[in-house]
Amino acid sequence: MSTFSGLSTAASGLAAARRGMDVVGQNIANQTTDGYTRQRVSTHAVAALQAGGIGRGALPGQGVAVDGISRLGDALLDARVRDALSASGFWSTRAVAATTAEAALGEPTGDGLAARLSAFWSGWQDLSNTPDSGAAGAVVLESAQELAGRIAEGYRAVASQWAGARATVDTTVSQVNAAADRIAAMNRQIRDALASGRSANELIDQRDLLAQNVARMVGGRANVEADGTMTVRVDGNALVSGADARHLAVSGPTSIDSGERVSIAWEGATGFPVAITAGELGGTLAVLAPEGEGGELAQVAAAYNSVATALADRVNAQHHAGATASGAPGGDFFAVAATGPAALGLTVVPTSAAQLALARPGSGAYDATNADAMSQIGASDGSPDAIWADQVLRFGVATAGAVQRARLSETAAVTATTSQQSVAAVDGDEETVTLLTYQAAYQASARVISAIDEALDVLINRTGVVGR
Amino acid sequence: MISRVTATAMTQSSMRHLQANLSQLARLQDQATSQRAFTAPSDDPAAAATALAVHALQQRNGQYARNIDDGLSWVTTVDGAITASTSLLRRVRDLTVQGANDGALDATAKEAIAVELEGIRGELLAQANTTLLGRSVFAGTSDAGAAFDADYGYTGTTGSEVLRRVSDNVSVRVDADGEAVFGAGADSVFALVDSIVADLRSGTNVASHLTQVDSRLAAMLGAQGAVGARQSQIERAKEATVDDSVSLEARRAAVEDVDSVEVLVRLQAQELVYRSALAVTGRVLQPSLMEFLR
Repeated sequence: MSTFSGLSTAASGLAAARRGMDVVGQNIANQTTDGYTRQRVSTHAVAALQAGGIGRGALPGQGVAVDGISRLGDALLDARVRDALSASGFWSTRAVAATTAEAALGEPTGDGLAARLSAFWSGWQDLSNTPDSGAAGAVVLESAQELAGRIAEGYRAVASQWAGARATVDTTVSQVNAAADRIAAMNRQIRDALASGRSANELIDQRDLLAQNVARMVGGRANVEADGTMTVRVDGNALVSGADARHLAVSGPTSIDSGERVSIAWEGATGFPVAITAGELGGTLAVLAPEGEGGELAQVAAAYNSVATALADRVNAQHHAGATASGAPGGDFFAVAATGPAALGLTVVPTSAAQLALARPGSGAYDATNADAMSQIGASDGSPDAIWADQVLRFGVATAGAVQRARLSETAAVTATTSQQSVAAVDGDEETVTLLTYQAAYQASARVISAIDEALDVLINRTGVVGR
Repeated sequence: MISRVTATAMTQSSMRHLQANLSQLARLQDQATSQRAFTAPSDDPAAAATALAVHALQQRNGQYARNIDDGLSWVTTVDGAITASTSLLRRVRDLTVQGANDGALDATAKEAIAVELEGIRGELLAQANTTLLGRSVFAGTSDAGAAFDADYGYTGTTGSEVLRRVSDNVSVRVDADGEAVFGAGADSVFALVDSIVADLRSGTNVASHLTQVDSRLAAMLGAQGAVGARQSQIERAKEATVDDSVSLEARRAAVEDVDSVEVLVRLQAQELVYRSALAVTGRVLQPSLMEFLR
């Protein structure tokens, strides 16, 4: 055993304490960094040199060695956060879309379609009271225009929300593709770093953050392979595998009118759609789905169309049954365009009050039996009002359900994030204590060095000077 | 699992709880200021369905109230015209009885009666052509300007009725058939008065016309009775409509409006919760080990 071995033991202690303080510094510096996972220096005691032979007696260890810098994350908790985020992304997207569409309905207020319908029927009743008054006829025509306008406006609001959501699909898919590329690039760096024994902690933090974003956007599964790379799978196929990333591509209509499905496929394999049922993208696709597949927006649009059709059918049938003041039979009151959505193609045919068929055919010029019958359509079975009220009710229930589930999945995501953070987040107090510990260790190691130094000083400088 | 508590986690959860408290507070404040229990159907789908139905009923009920007011003005106008006509016709009867006293009256006196009768005939014709807002109330659904022309011809549409809907299933007739009340052409009350006048002037005894006058009077009174019955029917419908509007408003308020006291109390409670949350957060987030070292 060397005379100076104590010095090198103490020096290793100094180095370890220094490294420890450096890591504490890194933790504190990144206390608020998104996705940062706290780190610790891991050390082990170096065993005594046993070379030499028998009879040398017990020897102390050779100090401390730094193994590396460990990352105190938990892969299971990370995976749970990704799952929770994908569910919360899905439901919150649907809830936001549903509440937006619901606000556009404007029910049950005086601005809603139901109120417009009531006012329209009421106008016919007023007209039946004063068939001789041009004013009441003008009011009916005006409220019919307003009603047709309100239906078209409601439909357009839904259509533009649909178009907005469709644009979001494009954006989200390109974000996912970009994130996949970055994850693949980081996988390569991490693999190289780990293979050469360097620390990849910060890279892993960033990659996990990207994986969280991908999970929030498209769901999927991610797991870490033996070589440190992360494989991300969407609908069972790899989005990222090792240093390779595949891209998603969007296909489908860009307007609600077509009623087709918007679908996602692997780039270059358009024929094989990818089923995305989670994450924000899944939520948006569910919102965009055709009416038959439960797409909320398509259902509202269809409700506007069926209200427009029912309104035109019922009013026209009643209008045909009547006669105008001059005795001519009533023509169409509403016209529906042959092409395109009925809600947008609804127009009012009569241009003046004289063309309104108020009377029962063959009765007096001021007979208003037909106008009275017209005003009663609103209260009858299968009326546009009933179709609309039913739609508002069903949409309200669906929206309430989506909001409820969004809240639940949000709570689950918060819980998962809290558990993850409780392990991975940096705590200032804890770091302060660790810092103090390393500081003390450093001071103690320094003290050991000066103790050995003094001892050696006695040995070297004061030995053999007796009587000098 | 949650054994380790960190300042970051505490900051985040405090933020979340404050946010939750604040959104509750905002919701209550919104309710208190708007006085509406819900703003979107999804807040309470069942209440929204009721509200939609009640709104439609209120709109219809309001329409029936307007119909009833309009109908009442029709029946009162018709009733007024018939009442005036019956009293005119009674006067005709009196004058006819008077004019039948051939021995007591000379030609001058008979002429005076004839002139008065002519005036009454004009008044009767005016009553028969009574209009309401430009529409002849005895002409049914006809659009001719007057119910009876100068030749006493009835211009109205025979058998037509002017109806007012007073409730979902009930429509009430608000006009009277001019032909039934006044007769038409040669059978009309006007022609009757004219023939009395002619007989007075020619010296023929007019007593024979008394039965015709009586039968016309009976027809008028019969029509008036029918109008009166319909008037009371409309008035009953009006009461029902007013009752309905009160109960519909109560139903609407129960569904849509908030209970102010309840909301205020809850607002106060929520404000207290928010204040305590702020105070607690302020105390919890402050301390750090740094403050206590050295």
